[in-house]
Amino acid sequence: MAVVTIDKLTKVYDRGHAPAADNVSLDIADGEFMVLLGPSGCGKTTTLRMVAGLESITSGTVSIDGRVVNQVPAKDRDIAMVFQSYALYPHMSVKDNLAFGLKRRSVERAEIERRVANVAGILGLAEFLSRKPHALSGGQRQRVALGRAIVRDPKVFLFDEPLSNLDAALRVSTRGEISALHRRLGATMIYVTHDQVEAMTMGTRICIMNGGRVAQVGPPLDVYRRPANTFVASFLGNPPMTLLAAVATDRSGGRCLKVGDSEIELPPGRCPPLRPGSQVTFGIRPEHVAQSAAANGAMIPVEAEIVRVEPLGAETIVIARLPGVEKLVFARLPGDAAFAMGERRQLFLDCGMAHVFDGDGGALGAGDT
Amino acid sequence: MAIVRRSLLLIALALYTSFAAGPFVWAAMMSLRTTTEIHRNHFAFPNPAHWDKFSDAWFKSNYAVYFANSVQVVVVAVLILTVVGAMAAHCLARYKFRFNRVIYFILFSTIIFPPQITIISLFQILVQYGLYNSKLGLTLVYVAIQLPLTIYILESFFARIPADLFDAARMDGYSDWEIFWRVALPIALPAVATTVILNFILLWNEFLYAVVLITEEANRTLPLGIQRFLGDTQEDVGMIATGLMIAIIPVIVVYAFFSERLIQGMTAGAVK
Repeated sequence: MAVVTIDKLTKVYDRGHAPAADNVSLDIADGEFMVLLGPSGCGKTTTLRMVAGLESITSGTVSIDGRVVNQVPAKDRDIAMVFQSYALYPHMSVKDNLAFGLKRRSVERAEIERRVANVAGILGLAEFLSRKPHALSGGQRQRVALGRAIVRDPKVFLFDEPLSNLDAALRVSTRGEISALHRRLGATMIYVTHDQVEAMTMGTRICIMNGGRVAQVGPPLDVYRRPANTFVASFLGNPPMTLLAAVATDRSGGRCLKVGDSEIELPPGRCPPLRPGSQVTFGIRPEHVAQSAAANGAMIPVEAEIVRVEPLGAETIVIARLPGVEKLVFARLPGDAAFAMGERRQLFLDCGMAHVFDGDGGALGAGDT
Repeated sequence: MAIVRRSLLLIALALYTSFAAGPFVWAAMMSLRTTTEIHRNHFAFPNPAHWDKFSDAWFKSNYAVYFANSVQVVVVAVLILTVVGAMAAHCLARYKFRFNRVIYFILFSTIIFPPQITIISLFQILVQYGLYNSKLGLTLVYVAIQLPLTIYILESFFARIPADLFDAARMDGYSDWEIFWRVALPIALPAVATTVILNFILLWNEFLYAVVLITEEANRTLPLGIQRFLGDTQEDVGMIATGLMIAIIPVIVVYAFFSERLIQGMTAGAVK
């Protein structure tokens, strides 16, 4: 059982430079799988390393079960970490790698044997125990790294992009294994990744970071459906949400936006009445752009010039330009959608699912003004 | 075509081997011949082979003492060099601290001074500290002259060990001291073996510092012992060759042990 509380955590490497982590606050509940997600250099690994005790803390606190651990050395925090590079000791056998942490903690030899055998059984490593890491495949090394964390039975597991060195197929299966492991152990886990698929599929909650700060925290689908700002909106989703500069007009009670030469009317639920002339950002996800008007919903037809067509088999990604708009619009259409580059076609925007962000990039909900 | 290429390669290798091993074989042959025999014909085979020259050198020409002195001085120096050099290299490669690179540069820059520049002042220092003419003094000098190169070789290797390994060991509960002995040093063993071989051969053959800093018969090392057969007007070439053979044996043993068994065994598990 472990609750991890991160309070106003800041890390400054070089005075005069922007902090690597800036006022990061996060509560991680017992048994939760929290994913820290963000682009390279957003401070997620620095935050994780501060929780681990591998990095000094400039200001703020890290608490585990209510006890502030800022000054507690890494080895006494009862935390295990899985590294991106696996960090297996190359001169030791798999068995010694697994047992290395237990030996230091003066666990009895018989108990070490029992735990190593148990973990090797869980992870399918029993036949490799006498091998050295260099004689293992990438996936097997990854499992040894996992095993080394599990065998210690720690309060908290930390993962630092553990799948990024695996090939695509292995990544999918290992993702499933880690999720299964989380369900089985019920332990608190903090997982750092820049891969949004990992974050969406594994996390109980995800914490999106940008420029050292927390951009948004919440269950994956909530964050996807209700991004708090333009950064989250454009970071989550592939292709990303299309974000277009827009100006509010005086039509439809302040809910009509002029995007380039097109006028887009939003249903009341998507946006509060806007002052005419205010500069906002209009956002629409590719899956909410259609080739024909659906019977339900608020589909707005727009004239578009097709710039590029990417047929992927199951679906076709169409990249189009709206009249008077420089930025391109992404549309995720069915695999049989027939579009040709350069043609002018009508596309339909499902404005019931559109997003509106204010001039600072913050999301405008229906209740905001 | 393949046969021709293979034959050419073998001929080239044979020529190179005889070029490299020729002097050694010649010295080995001379070690079993008397000086008179050698003067009569420089390149003849030892017939009869004078094996007794080895026991003469060992017992009558004080080689047992020189050999013991060399072993004592060189083994202790190499031991200190390896431990201190590895610790310093690990520290310089792994820890970020102020003046890290300055210290590294100062250590390494001492390599540029030729021994002739420092040897007189070293002599003076050893005399003042009562270390002149002592094996301890020579050992300390050997450590001092070889330490920069040792650190240089080891530092570049230690720097290549991924930092994640040290973090992993810290998470596993190990202190910095334990991490050095149980993680860093075993991984760096191939590089350590290289420095052991290098230092051992260089110091085993070292003559200049030894001849300046040691004059007492009881403290002479092997290279000085060999020099004793060189007179002002006459050279006992046969005994010099015998002395050389005795001196070479430990070098071959050290080389064979560290290069074959250790390096091959350890590089297999080293950092990829």
